Amino acid sequence: MSMANKFLSVGKSSQWLIAGLFIFYGIAHLGADTRQFSLSTAKGFPIRVLQDNEMHFVHAELFIFLDSSTQNYNSLIISQLTILNMFARELNSPSSNLLDSLLRLGNDYQVEQTPEYIKLSINFLPDRLASFTKVLRDIFTYQSFHLNKFNLSKAKYWSFFVKNRDWKKDIAFLLAYQQIVGNFYFSQGLVIQEFINGINLAQLRSFHLKTFRIDNSLLIIKGNVNPYIVLGLLEKDLPVLARTPAKSKKEAIKIHSGRKIFVLNNNVSDYPMIYWFDVAPPLTDVNYLPFFIGNFALFGFPGGRIYQSERSQVLLGGYKVSTDIYSLKNFTVFCNYLRLNYADLENFLLLVDQERKKFSVRSIVRKEYLDALNYYLGRAQVETGNYAYGMQQMLDRYQTPPASPLPSARNSESAREVTFERVVQVMDTLMGYKHKTGIRERGIIVLIGNANLIINNLKILKTDVVELRMD
Amino acid sequence: MVIKKGIYCFLFISLFTPVFCQTINITSFELPNGLKVILSPSDDMQAAAVCIYNMNGARHDLADNRGISYLFQYLMFNGNENLESYDHVLFINKMGGIVSGRVSHDNSVFCDVLPASEINVALWLESERLKSLRLDDASINYQKNQIFNRINRLGEASLNFRAQTWINSRVFDGLPYAQPLYGDLNKIRNLNNDQIRESYQKFQNLSNILLIIAGKFDINELKAGINKYFQNIPPGKKSQEVIANISTPHSSFSVKNWVLPGLKNNFSFFAIKSPGKINYDFLYFDFLRYYLTDPRLSHLDYMINKVNKLNVEIEATYTDYFEANVLTIQMSCPERINLEKAKYILQQEFMALTTKLINNADFRAVRSLMEIDFNKNTYSLEDRCLRIGEFYHMFGELNFFDAYLRRLRRVSLYDILESAKKYLKKENQVILNVYGE
Repeated sequence: MSMANKFLSVGKSSQWLIAGLFIFYGIAHLGADTRQFSLSTAKGFPIRVLQDNEMHFVHAELFIFLDSSTQNYNSLIISQLTILNMFARELNSPSSNLLDSLLRLGNDYQVEQTPEYIKLSINFLPDRLASFTKVLRDIFTYQSFHLNKFNLSKAKYWSFFVKNRDWKKDIAFLLAYQQIVGNFYFSQGLVIQEFINGINLAQLRSFHLKTFRIDNSLLIIKGNVNPYIVLGLLEKDLPVLARTPAKSKKEAIKIHSGRKIFVLNNNVSDYPMIYWFDVAPPLTDVNYLPFFIGNFALFGFPGGRIYQSERSQVLLGGYKVSTDIYSLKNFTVFCNYLRLNYADLENFLLLVDQERKKFSVRSIVRKEYLDALNYYLGRAQVETGNYAYGMQQMLDRYQTPPASPLPSARNSESAREVTFERVVQVMDTLMGYKHKTGIRERGIIVLIGNANLIINNLKILKTDVVELRMD
Repeated sequence: MVIKKGIYCFLFISLFTPVFCQTINITSFELPNGLKVILSPSDDMQAAAVCIYNMNGARHDLADNRGISYLFQYLMFNGNENLESYDHVLFINKMGGIVSGRVSHDNSVFCDVLPASEINVALWLESERLKSLRLDDASINYQKNQIFNRINRLGEASLNFRAQTWINSRVFDGLPYAQPLYGDLNKIRNLNNDQIRESYQKFQNLSNILLIIAGKFDINELKAGINKYFQNIPPGKKSQEVIANISTPHSSFSVKNWVLPGLKNNFSFFAIKSPGKINYDFLYFDFLRYYLTDPRLSHLDYMINKVNKLNVEIEATYTDYFEANVLTIQMSCPERINLEKAKYILQQEFMALTTKLINNADFRAVRSLMEIDFNKNTYSLEDRCLRIGEFYHMFGELNFFDAYLRRLRRVSLYDILESAKKYLKKENQVILNVYGE
């Protein structure tokens, strides 16, 4: 018998085994493209899985939404103290099950808060998936609030806050958000120690009970994981759903984006930071991209008008402006920021206003429009190299009401809908360039640095300054 | 029957091996002019990185010309016969990409991350830079002045900068890392411009350069692009190799006190001389570094602030050199008594690590965290290029990924104990105390 015949003569069960192995091989070596799964546990916990076979670790983001449960606890400090007490590594004494579980998972996690949600990002190795679902259970059933830890978190609130490298930007955003949405969640203003001292532990427990609920959360997982194994583990580990409390009625959001300048005193021997906030349409809105293009034409580096204008002025040293975009449900906030000399503060601020006004006489030109569009599409491709890529889109899609159009992916098709004329129109109406018609300057400015030096260097803009002291 | 079993075995092994053995695909080839090209494809993204890894760094500068390589960190963006200053940045930035450049002691790395569809633009820009660089007197003098002013300002304003410079000079005594990258700041403006131009010939010598490309690309198109832009660059002669001259161990222990008027905080910089990346012990010491100082695990913070409640700020920095490194633990506190207690606890912890094993839970957590960090870094295209380049530079091999993970997973508690005994001893320590008047 030839070798081939010998092989073919193996028993039927063996043939099935070989076929099975080939099928397994096929599944395991499935194309490298990221696949998306949308699942939900029987208890109503929504899960989104981005299966990426080339990722050698798992990145998970748990969103706990805030906007539907804050009517009785409408204060930033309660939620921030809750996060500190649950997740701050510095406060693991006495130890809690949650922090011990996170340690076993590798301890690579961070928690951040926006006005709309608390986001827990965790990275772990794929073989710790079972431990990860137990961490989620520990989060939803957390009961380790401890008086000593609570008192310490209150006493050291600011020292914890400034440990974050981006604390200046965070606090600038809080201030701007407070100004933009005067009647909403952060409206009680900047957190001050007297207010912190007035909070009690029961408020934290109650906040946790009402907010950290599986029907008020979303889990997005990215990595080389089997979505059905994730689902099975979550079905097994997550707690039984508690009775849903009556949802409070949401207040309508009124947006104020008029000019305001804040100075935040921070006595360190460093250059001051400028944060420039503008309110823009939400990502799902057709006017979002025109706004982006306008902002890029102004602040973009190195082709933006401000940078080009700076370079032509002897007084300014060619400062590079960075841009961050905060995507919220009803609008986005563009934050343009930079660090510069005290002596250049006023010149720079005036230059920005001057360049914005100039749009009314020298509208955006086709080259600027094409450059911005090119940048927008290119950046979208570059971002695919980030391991957290895809998470924000998943969240946006989850939050989009069923009747609304889905947020479009950043691609050439969506960009084609943005005509040159529309950009000009949006810039006129949304960014306040119609100076001739008497519209006041827009944009909220937050300056962080030595307040005395800042105020001394603001001569023309002085009247608008509001000083807030952190210490 | 034996053949049948053999077939099963072969099928079983060949089918399952790739599933459980994580790896990153890396291949290489060489152009006729000697340029080594290394490719690491990733199909699950739409970005690509084009990286010029130069095996020359500040340590290769002649003693009298120390600082020339550091100047190239800035001169490389100065334009050439076809491009104006910063055109390189402008081109990449316009398409949403990111440009970076860094000269270190051991190497120099220039990288463009951009949309995969535009990869040829980066190839063109990098080849332009290798063919010619604008090195006229005005450009060079401008950059010299810029560096002088920047470093001068930093030296005046930053205590950390001054402290780290002093620490490096002590810890790396006898090694090329003892001097700063820019050499003697007072001499940088007197560097000879002709020698700078001459150095560039050596700096851009193709036999010292690796062209590393990671991310999404079509291999045939990419090869055509590489041939088009790089094959006409003239070959060069191989210059000196990095020699791991593990210097004769000698005690670097020293303690110095600075008293600065007007300082509100008291500081203590605790520096430990540690193995270089080329050293087999590097991984073990890195493990200790994670355990002691990584903010996600920091055992020191736990002992000093949680157990002893001293309220001391702890920060750590680590160099990234081939031959030797220094871990600097900076502690600061307004109350000097607390700082002194913290220093005592730190020494006790070092002592404990040299005499007993760390507990299993901590051990597993550190190992997991190191593996997670490593995987995160290799996902980033720029970091991946750097790691590939460094690994090839040091060991002449490509597959850094498997090699690292294999070793990391084999680390045992006893390896850590031995590493602590070897490196946490007094002879390896340099201590700088800075007190307010």
